[in-house]
Amino acid sequence: MADTVKLFVNGQEVEVESGKNLIDAIGAVGIEIPHLCYHPALGADGNCRMCLVGIEDGRPPLVPACKTRVAEGMKVQLDTDKIKKIQHDVMEFELINHPVDCPICDQAGECKLQDYYMKYDGQKSRMTVKPVYKAKKLDFGCGVVHDQERCVLCARCVRFTRLITKTGELGIVNRTDAARVNIFPGRPLNNRYALNVVDLCPVGAMTSRDFRFKQRSWFLTKSPSICHGCSKGCNIFIDHNREKYKDDVIYRFRPRLNSQVNGYFMCDQGRMTYKLENDNRLTTAWIADREASVGEGVEAVRRAISQAKKAVLLVSPNCSLEQMLAVQRLAASIGAQVSGYSDGLIKQGDADGYLIQDDKSANRAGFALLGIDATKAGFDAAIQDADLLVSFQSDLSLSLGEADLTTLMEKMSTVYVGSYQNSFTAKASLRLPAASYSEDTGLIVNCDGILQQYKAAVVKNSPAAGLGQMVQMLGGSIESPAQALAELKSSVAALQSVDFEQIPSEGIALTASEVAHVAA
Amino acid sequence: MSDRSQLIETGKPFTFDAQRGTEFERLVKRYPTRESMILPSLWLVQEQEGWISAEAMGYIADRIGCFASMVYEAATFYTMYNLQPKGKHHFCVCRTLSCYLLGKQELVDYLQRELGVKPGEVSADGQYSLEEVECLGHCGTAPVVQVNGEFHENMNLEKLKELLATLK
Amino acid sequence: MQVQVLSARFEIPDAHKIEVAKEHGAYATLDKVFAMQPEEIIELVKASGLRGRGGAGFPTGLKWSFLPKGVDKPVYLAVNSDESEPATFKDRYILVRDPHMLIEGIIICCYAIKSHHAYIYIRGEYTTQVKALQAAIDEAYDAGYLGDSVAGRDFKLDVTVHRGAGAYVCGEETALLESIEGRKGQPRSKPPFPAVEGLYGCPTIINNVQSIGSLPFILTNGPDAYKAYGTEKSPGTHLFGISGLVKKPGMYELPLGLPLLEVIDKVAGGMRDGRTLKGVIPGGSSTPVLTPEEAQTVTLDYESMAAHKTMFGSGGIVVLDDTVDMVKLVENLISFYHHESCGQCTPCREGLGWMLKIVKKIIRGEGTVADIDLLTELCDNIEMKTVCVLSAACTMSTRSYLNKFRHEFEAYVSGGASSKAAM
Repeated sequence: MADTVKLFVNGQEVEVESGKNLIDAIGAVGIEIPHLCYHPALGADGNCRMCLVGIEDGRPPLVPACKTRVAEGMKVQLDTDKIKKIQHDVMEFELINHPVDCPICDQAGECKLQDYYMKYDGQKSRMTVKPVYKAKKLDFGCGVVHDQERCVLCARCVRFTRLITKTGELGIVNRTDAARVNIFPGRPLNNRYALNVVDLCPVGAMTSRDFRFKQRSWFLTKSPSICHGCSKGCNIFIDHNREKYKDDVIYRFRPRLNSQVNGYFMCDQGRMTYKLENDNRLTTAWIADREASVGEGVEAVRRAISQAKKAVLLVSPNCSLEQMLAVQRLAASIGAQVSGYSDGLIKQGDADGYLIQDDKSANRAGFALLGIDATKAGFDAAIQDADLLVSFQSDLSLSLGEADLTTLMEKMSTVYVGSYQNSFTAKASLRLPAASYSEDTGLIVNCDGILQQYKAAVVKNSPAAGLGQMVQMLGGSIESPAQALAELKSSVAALQSVDFEQIPSEGIALTASEVAHVAA
Repeated sequence: MSDRSQLIETGKPFTFDAQRGTEFERLVKRYPTRESMILPSLWLVQEQEGWISAEAMGYIADRIGCFASMVYEAATFYTMYNLQPKGKHHFCVCRTLSCYLLGKQELVDYLQRELGVKPGEVSADGQYSLEEVECLGHCGTAPVVQVNGEFHENMNLEKLKELLATLK
Repeated sequence: MQVQVLSARFEIPDAHKIEVAKEHGAYATLDKVFAMQPEEIIELVKASGLRGRGGAGFPTGLKWSFLPKGVDKPVYLAVNSDESEPATFKDRYILVRDPHMLIEGIIICCYAIKSHHAYIYIRGEYTTQVKALQAAIDEAYDAGYLGDSVAGRDFKLDVTVHRGAGAYVCGEETALLESIEGRKGQPRSKPPFPAVEGLYGCPTIINNVQSIGSLPFILTNGPDAYKAYGTEKSPGTHLFGISGLVKKPGMYELPLGLPLLEVIDKVAGGMRDGRTLKGVIPGGSSTPVLTPEEAQTVTLDYESMAAHKTMFGSGGIVVLDDTVDMVKLVENLISFYHHESCGQCTPCREGLGWMLKIVKKIIRGEGTVADIDLLTELCDNIEMKTVCVLSAACTMSTRSYLNKFRHEFEAYVSGGASSKAAM
């Protein structure tokens, strides 16, 4: 911990980090100060008045905690009747003009108004006069739908577009209780991070068109994971649910705080990659045009490998370190060459200097660590004279033009071992299903050299074997994840001092000089 | 305050005329930030057109180099900015405290009858519009009526009749 | 009772023109000013006891001395000419009748606080007044009193008029700064105070027109001459605005400390024929109303007003007679504050509209005693929970009517009840 100060909360001494405001500092030791407008990434605005706390002997004696920095010896009062009354009163004011339409509101279950009503208010409505009516179902663009009546005017969304994306599409117009969030006519949300306003909204005023009315939040299992949409590796929650008689389905990705990587946010494009995890999945083995059991498929692939004069193993930069290592070892044992060729995943010029990267794969840095060549020249050399290409998770159609791909597939037989159906797998003569990252555990290294671990989130009704396990079934020598980790440790210098049992939630910067720091 | 957020789009692009363009360039030098020009620019538009359209706000935002949402916020927050065309003769009757005590309602009722408009409306022929506004700072000579910005103090029905006669 | 300190040139024909104003002493004190050190001027203003005439009454010289020393940033003066508190109409006279007194005051202040740019924030409704003010500023530039070399001295000063556009809250000093910066007039949380971090993040002094207008007299005649007027703690004179139900409403310059009732009688001509006093709003619509009994003993100064649990405020006195329906008056006032809430803080944004709807319900005869109690409780629940005091201006005044004239509210309630019973 950085420098600390000692102060008193409700008479009890606590030691907290200095330089922070009361909400963050006291919150870090487990004492919640209710707030709606404050957000650590957006700074203090001070409009909701929910975080007013008493300062004994303070001048003034009542302060917004969001705007008040901790100080040595400060005596903070949260449990006095006066403060409780303020929290209660502010909640009452928030709710008098609120539609209280929780039964049809997506935010229900994760709504600050609901939580705080239960905790700080709890009384019946005393509103006997007509409320203020405002507009609903406003299309703000980028898949964001706004309900002005549910809004508490905390301005988090407005501040996000002004401070973070610097696009400023949103504003609070009018004043007094006519105030409302709106877009300027003809200038809707137009940035690549717009859906973050849905997460930022403490109530149900900002909803995602994609997620609206799909699930009640309390049915969702919220599992931590890492986005594979690009090489940034933004930390996410995978919100998924297995409805009765159905399979485990992902309903949304939400950003998860990692101040070393993505801060509080993620891009919309990455957010929407959850769909790839649900749809167009390869779920059974295919031998040519015939559906087969996985056992049959594995046998067919083993046969193909053993009969091949020269095989090339193509590994995707989306594979984990463990998977890359397993493929590498398999290649060594069968005398095949390994390539990581995947130029098609690099969208030159797409990076924005914030979170979005050119490289749309999650672990290209792993190639460097394991010494896997990913150049076009290396690939071309490898496939020279080859009669078998086995792709592990790699969609070669993204990197090769159609003509080149056709030529290649005429020259050799192709095998795909992976999770998705795409135009490459459609043509591969043998296909074997493998679990995707949302169903598996693995290590990846992001564009800034930060090693992160994702863990299995989704458990399908018929789970596919992990790619690592699949490699073993095909004759690979690595028999367990533990063995993979042990061999990574012993064979990769940069990983020698890493304790895989205890990878911190923020990840480990493998090269200190390349630590990315996303300002939170 | 009623909702002012529904802007009117004319469908035509807006630009300052030469005079306002010159005035903009003169004023912008008086401030260290260009955003300070939001309120003065809205005034310039209103001077030029009598009211402020969505296109004019977009023009201001682009000319200043600020977010259109900021211009939109200011235009809807400050109630003197007309977001729709007003009558040729725009009546503002002070509704607050001293003017209230000294019979502003009688004046409002009279104007409503005579002009055929309710507060907030414009007459069908575009000649008159009526608005009840908050304290105009002429409490010592209440009640006060502003017509196109000109103050008429110590008003009563008789003086209002005379005033209307001069306008007709 | 009336005096002519600030209003000395008000009755002189064409005193708004620079040559006439100069004939009658305008800008004459600048030689003395520039011969002094800035710090000496601040001390002199402190010694005069001048208190901010916008409403809060904070000592002007003391305010100036809060400017941080040795900061490498420009210092700004913002002159508050928003004058939007109902019943307040004093600064307008300075703007129109003696704008050069204001400009001279601005020169004095800026020299003292080492500022080279003053912004005059004038309310948008002052349409003709802004023209008069701008004309005077143009004259002052032409005459060399503003610009690169003020009165031939090595002192640069620009004065820019910034027009508001219909927002009472911009009279709050940080909302005023936001408005100059091009934003909605939403008050800032303090600290930081404007003297440290104000306009464009720079040290800024915000003074009312009348406060600045008082400076030429103080500099010309010395602090003692100023303190010869008024009381010990509330020295000087004030431009009182007397309005409402009196025979001779108007703006009158008076020394502080005079008995309120005497002023109403002798200066403002007393009550209208056949009418009796029901209450007095002593310093603008936000100040708690005084009953006739309370008015007996109050004098027009900060201390006496505080002792009577009200405020000197802007010196805008409103006289209420026995024809006034206090419930409807409260409706009028709450309606004003509701309309003017900037919409930032939850209690004010949501609460004032609720209060207004409740009082309307009471007036419609649909209210109950519980509604009167709820109205009273809401005053407590809103007050002092917000960034600025706009909501407190509403609740403090409303509460005073609820407490002192509760029977009038109850009459509406019981009237409603009995009419229902009759049905």
